[in-house]
Amino acid sequence: MAGMDKKNIHFVVNGDPVSALVGPEWTLLRALRDGVGLTGTKEGCGAGECGACTVLVDGTAVNSCLFPALEAEGRSVTTVEGLTQADGNLHPLQKAFIEYGAVQCGFCTPGALMSSKALLDQNPDPSAHQIKVALAGNLCRCTGYTQIVEAVQAAAAEMNGTAAAAVGNGSGAAASGAGATGAASDTALAGVTGAVDQPSHASTSGEVTA
Amino acid sequence: MAGFEYVRPTTLEGAVAELSMRGDTAVAVAGATDLWVNIRSGKMKPEAVVSLRGIAGLDVLTPERADGGGLTIGAMTPHGKVEDSAWTAAHFPALQQGCAGLGSRQVRNVGTVGGNICNAAPCADSATALMLFDATLVIQGPGGLRELPLGEFFVGPGMTRLLKGELLKEIRVPDPGANTFSRYIKHTRRRGVELAMMSVGVRLTLEDDMTTVKAARISLGVCAPTPTCADRAQDMLVGKPLTREAVEAAALVAAEDSQVRDSWRGKAWYRREMIRVLVPRAVEQSGAYVAAGLAPALDDAGSAASSGASAPGAPTPDDPGASSGATEGGA
Ligand SMILES: Cc1cc2nc3c(=O)[nH]c(=O)nc-3n(C[C@H](O)[C@H](O)[C@H](O)COP(=O)(O)OP(=O)(O)OC[C@H]3O[C@@H](n4cnc5c(N)ncnc54)[C@H](O)[C@@H]3O)c2cc1C
Ligand code: FES
Ligand code: FES
Repeated sequence: MAGMDKKNIHFVVNGDPVSALVGPEWTLLRALRDGVGLTGTKEGCGAGECGACTVLVDGTAVNSCLFPALEAEGRSVTTVEGLTQADGNLHPLQKAFIEYGAVQCGFCTPGALMSSKALLDQNPDPSAHQIKVALAGNLCRCTGYTQIVEAVQAAAAEMNGTAAAAVGNGSGAAASGAGATGAASDTALAGVTGAVDQPSHASTSGEVTA
Repeated sequence: MAGFEYVRPTTLEGAVAELSMRGDTAVAVAGATDLWVNIRSGKMKPEAVVSLRGIAGLDVLTPERADGGGLTIGAMTPHGKVEDSAWTAAHFPALQQGCAGLGSRQVRNVGTVGGNICNAAPCADSATALMLFDATLVIQGPGGLRELPLGEFFVGPGMTRLLKGELLKEIRVPDPGANTFSRYIKHTRRRGVELAMMSVGVRLTLEDDMTTVKAARISLGVCAPTPTCADRAQDMLVGKPLTREAVEAAALVAAEDSQVRDSWRGKAWYRREMIRVLVPRAVEQSGAYVAAGLAPALDDAGSAASSGASAPGAPTPDDPGASSGATEGGA
């Protein structure tokens, strides 16, 4: 049946026009990972529950594991790889996640970052409660969430130019300094930049000193 | 997951034609947050999926007037749009709460109100909230449009009165009139992403004397095979002065009349008990007691003198939660 054949979809990923050959049952997650070759976006549950696969479609956070790939035609998708800025610097959210110990194994991190990005784009100065609501669909087995909330607050402050106040009140910053550069950095950076599946990348970030 | 044909019509009539032509082998897909899970798990094996995403004009939230009136919701309107609508929060608070408490933000950004209704789960949050407002469904079929009250739409879990080839076009919510108060409480074991163990909505419209109940609705999720209204209980309130005693008596009747069951999410006795507890709490939080002079007015911050979990009449920016986590819900 003709309709079951694969189709070429054309869409924009992290600002670049791309195309991918996808089957009708493919999800956007699979199109990104297997079609475009961007493996920063992770699959956890595959059923909308965990948020590891969160990407932005036309600016809104969606679970890419439930988004039919064919519906990406003509859309603009942002993945964790797209957070890194043009000059190669990490996004303030990525920096804060590392600094505040919001990354441990790193598997949830790409999704948590994208939900956080969607939130800050809509609401640059969210309360802790608003952060929890926005990230309720991002499960993390490691951090206990507190560090993630602190990191998002710190990134918001940084982006709003009120960073000093936020950093001053956080026990997180001090406690996680080691996490950012030390023991956790191997996986931490990998998670933050979406490079877990790219060993070369992951090892370059592994300046484990602790 | 097996392959299937993916059809993407650009008009509602076209989608109806595609579905009608294929009969039982085809299924419509809106936001896919229910359907894709079922296909992936193998529970559903359609030969064709007819996507409604390419159809313009179904993602709309149209208030009748800026200052009130009724509301038209396109079937493809995602819950996030209703959640973010200040107008809906002001004029149909229970509806905004039902939509804001569903799933996660990612799920609300794509899962649609039409999909929630047509999926016909007993726990469907936006559908249960809409039951409060006497919504009418506008359905497109091969022969044209027809209308059906939402209250007559559900047949059983996953079963509706949609006929082969028919699609939901929009939901029309009539003007409930002045002096209307509503609240939707989703009862869950945790505050995060979870399906309701049970849910309670209330809507009261008072006469201009601000005492006599003109109209009352009590809707229940997961208290029967489909979202329902507690008919006998809500009728007890109409035409009489609003009092706490009357609401408590109605809550008892709503609990008695419910068809609650045991499931792994909760026991029947507990669900029944929570109807009795949450109906009065929902009325309290709707602001109706304040309006009727039965409770002190809320201050600007939204907290009443009496305080406590039951205080806020409307969700504050910090508590959009329609959710009453079981941990804080201890009667
Ligand atoms: C992680 C997760 C959490 C969830 N949490 C909740 C929750 O808390 N509360 C809740 O109520 N639901 C919840 N859901 C279920 C789901 O998100 C909602 O029911 C949603 O509203 C479904 O809408 P959809 O657009 O995704 O529907 P789809 O999955 O696209 O469709 C659902 C069904 O409706 C039919 N359909 C859709 N649109 C139409 C139409 N216009 N005309 C005719 N038939 C149509 C489809 O054929 C299909 O059978 C959750 C889902 C997930 C994955
Ligand atoms: S993989 Fe998509 S939500 Fe878990
Ligand atoms: S799941 Fe391991 S860091 Fe969140």
